[in-house]
Amino acid sequence: MNDDALDPLIHVPTRLKIVATLAALPDGDTLSFTRLQDMIGLTPGNLIIHLRKLEDADYINSEKTRNGTVSVTTVALTSQGRKALAAYTEALRDLLGGL
Amino acid sequence: MSHTPDAAAAGNGGTFDPQQAATMLDQATRQARREFTPSPPWLLVTRGVLVLAALGGIWLTVRGQHPYRGPTAADIPVLAGFVVINFFATVTVRERAMSGVRGRSRLRPAEIATLVAAVAVVPAVMVALHAAGASFAWYPTTVMVVPGLAWAGISAARRQWQPCGVGLAVALVGVVGAFAGSAGSWLVAGVGLCLVLVGDAATTAWRQRA
Repeated sequence: MNDDALDPLIHVPTRLKIVATLAALPDGDTLSFTRLQDMIGLTPGNLIIHLRKLEDADYINSEKTRNGTVSVTTVALTSQGRKALAAYTEALRDLLGGL
Repeated sequence: MSHTPDAAAAGNGGTFDPQQAATMLDQATRQARREFTPSPPWLLVTRGVLVLAALGGIWLTVRGQHPYRGPTAADIPVLAGFVVINFFATVTVRERAMSGVRGRSRLRPAEIATLVAAVAVVPAVMVALHAAGASFAWYPTTVMVVPGLAWAGISAARRQWQPCGVGLAVALVGVVGAFAGSAGSWLVAGVGLCLVLVGDAATTAWRQRA
């Protein structure tokens, strides 16, 4: 087995961090864009680019809600995203002979 | 971006070998679990030590009383101070951990109302027990039974088994204290709650590393 077995969408440092961070939340929970940005340490523009790629693959979903004059964007890992991370972790284990 | 050295070497894309990926995945997962934990192990252990000191201190002052007169006037501010500090520390740390998080992890208004009601009903239960002639009506551990069971029930409904166990353990300490005598119930409360909190801390730490 080689690196090709690793999901190229997740096998990027920033997106790996994003997916691992969202996976630490229980299924059904969402995280605000600002908290995620704070935890990952990216500029809003960079984070949006990575989130869009993950959303296009249906690994995450995002929702924008209005609270008075403030709009809040929340993101969550989808069940497909969790499965993809599980498969990625399994592929890493196989490549490294057990983590 | 706050990269680890490995991540800095790898950049945001490009070459990123599996070993680096495994290290980053492990670090990111642990860090996220730590940051999302509403009651981190350090806070639980601190609360355990403080509750042991506060209630153990009261036990030392009441154990020689014959007949039993209860905590002295000097003990009450210490106990009240512990309760207030504990409440604000817990709320502050929990709010920081849950900042930006929405969904099942957050307590719903009905659940908060149930917990408040469980605490509010305690004096009524104690008065009723006293009126019924129960000798343990005013024991400190009596206070724990109803809120402990309420927390266990709410947690079970949410399928969160660790806090459910904590709630049951707190209620159990309350019941055991009823058999420990007026002075001994303070010791049971202090040691029992300390053990529950340290056990909760150990379980939380273990789950963060799993």
